[in-house]
Amino acid sequence: MTVNPKKLRPYDEPPKRRRTLIPDAPDTAAIGFLVAAALWFVVATGIGAIAIGLRLVQFELSYPLGIFGLSFELDQRRVDAAFVNASVFGWLSNAGFAAVAFMTPRLLGRRTVGEKLLNVGLAIWNLSLAGGIAALYVFDLGVNAALTAMPWFVDGGLATGALVVTGVFLATAGAAVRGAYISVWFAGVALLALLGLTSLSAGLGLFETFFGLDELPSALASVFIERAIIVLWLLGMAYATLHYVVPRAAGQPLASGGLGLLTWLTWLVLGPASALVVLMDASVPFFVTTAGAVATMLLLLPASLAVANLAITMSGRWSLLFRTGTAAFAAIALAFLLAHSLLDAIAALRSVHTGVGGTDWELGALVWALYGTFTMTALALADHAAPRMLRRATGAGTLGNAQLWLAFGGATFAGLALMAGGMAEGALRAQGVAPDGIRDGVMAYRAAALAGFGLVALAALALLGHLFVTYTSGEPADYAVPGQTSAAAAGH
Amino acid sequence: MTVHTPIETRSGGIPRWALALTAFVFLVGGVYLASNLTGENPPFAMPGVTDAAPGNGDPDPAVGEALVAQAGCAACHGADLGGQAAFPTLLELEEGPISENLEGLAEEHPDEWVALWIDGTTPETEGIDRGGMPAFGNQYTRDQIDAMVAYLRGL
Repeated sequence: MTVNPKKLRPYDEPPKRRRTLIPDAPDTAAIGFLVAAALWFVVATGIGAIAIGLRLVQFELSYPLGIFGLSFELDQRRVDAAFVNASVFGWLSNAGFAAVAFMTPRLLGRRTVGEKLLNVGLAIWNLSLAGGIAALYVFDLGVNAALTAMPWFVDGGLATGALVVTGVFLATAGAAVRGAYISVWFAGVALLALLGLTSLSAGLGLFETFFGLDELPSALASVFIERAIIVLWLLGMAYATLHYVVPRAAGQPLASGGLGLLTWLTWLVLGPASALVVLMDASVPFFVTTAGAVATMLLLLPASLAVANLAITMSGRWSLLFRTGTAAFAAIALAFLLAHSLLDAIAALRSVHTGVGGTDWELGALVWALYGTFTMTALALADHAAPRMLRRATGAGTLGNAQLWLAFGGATFAGLALMAGGMAEGALRAQGVAPDGIRDGVMAYRAAALAGFGLVALAALALLGHLFVTYTSGEPADYAVPGQTSAAAAGH
Repeated sequence: MTVHTPIETRSGGIPRWALALTAFVFLVGGVYLASNLTGENPPFAMPGVTDAAPGNGDPDPAVGEALVAQAGCAACHGADLGGQAAFPTLLELEEGPISENLEGLAEEHPDEWVALWIDGTTPETEGIDRGGMPAFGNQYTRDQIDAMVAYLRGL
């Protein structure tokens, strides 16, 4: 019998799909984290361009807000802090959470436990961060390093967000974590490190506010936490993501599980120890900072092992590198991983630190780490995961090419220009040139860095545009959803 | 529905070359650490703290010793800072200028000529031939330079 849909009575209609206030469908949190990451990518690169611009044109602004005697302060240090926070906690951490939310159910073959809770974590993390970055322009930064400069209650919000994501990860993984793929191990340690470090930062801030804390221990703890967040959280998630996307992109098994395990073990031992290198003070025993410097140099080892393992995994599929896609993003990320590990090792030498410490070299090395290694890894994840999460088929297209080449070229150029400027600055200092003369001497390098970073900002816009176009114009496609079908239990 | 296989690994064991490389790298790191166990770190550069006004508190010679070691003075002035080749001794600063080009500076600023010379970025030292001596004013605060002077004057 044919049914005329116009004559359907209310009880004949199929039940309408109810939408809850907090989504709980599979992958909604992963999509949320990826979209938040893309938005923060745009914001972070915008602030980064301003931060480099302020090195060219010195500018400061103080505007009274008219409440509690507070005022909006804009200066080099605050913009630098906002740039680092937006990059690390905004862009890269959201991308890291997206990777956790995307990979964990697929690697373990089960649905995420507490998708709603994960969405709540997404909101807590990003609202806290937005408030924290605004607070950087209002409250005193004290003697804190950039990543711990936000007020303690903001750090508390970030720690809560990290706790939610870690809790959901552990609940989903459960006992299966023991035999899980190496990416799960990397992600687990990275998440626990982030949770511990943000909690420590919040706890120290709270203690300082109510009981007071001497400047020196506070500053030393601050730089230690900052370094550890980069080496344990960001680097850990980069290893987790690269070990996931490269075999997927190549369509081949990981070359060696043992090599992956050795990479994980060496990173686990050397990562925390390498954070000791920043405790450069007369009150800290010399051998402690030397041990930190040695661990920093030795971090080249897990980087080399990962590159070797993933390069062997790619063997026979080299043609994938010559077209825009996950493999190309991952290959560039691996090249940057080696390069930035080498730069870190060189900068850990005391003689080098004396020459270029406090110059643009440090910012250049940071740009290579954040916008070379970690950004290219996050773009590889986005390229692989976005179509699967959005269930849309999409090609690389112009926007994909734009992400690859603008981010690669821009980060390379900006980092090189800043590092060259830093070396020039160090040389001019040694010659006894006055500060104004030094500023004039490095102007050209800074202008080049600004141009390079502008390209990275365009790559951020390209990623945002690509996600939008994929969602709105991509052809619907079926991908396995873990926990939804038996076939999906095999992972994907 | 696209069915994907889980990520598999071609081999589970750790390759021998990787184990050997790891052992070698840790061995090199251990040797480097063992040969660099003693020394002193320089004072911590506080984030957000700019140069303090000169003369705040008494300069600490112990801090100065660490800074002199860090700045690499011994590279030119000799391991014992007693001078070598064209580079004068730093052991006789109490007795006055250690080279001809510093006589005018020492005459005009008898109390702080050493600090001004190490700094090298102030107008007082403009035009004086530095003879290869770097200026440390952009690298160290005035307090740190005073600490270096306190140490050097005590040698």
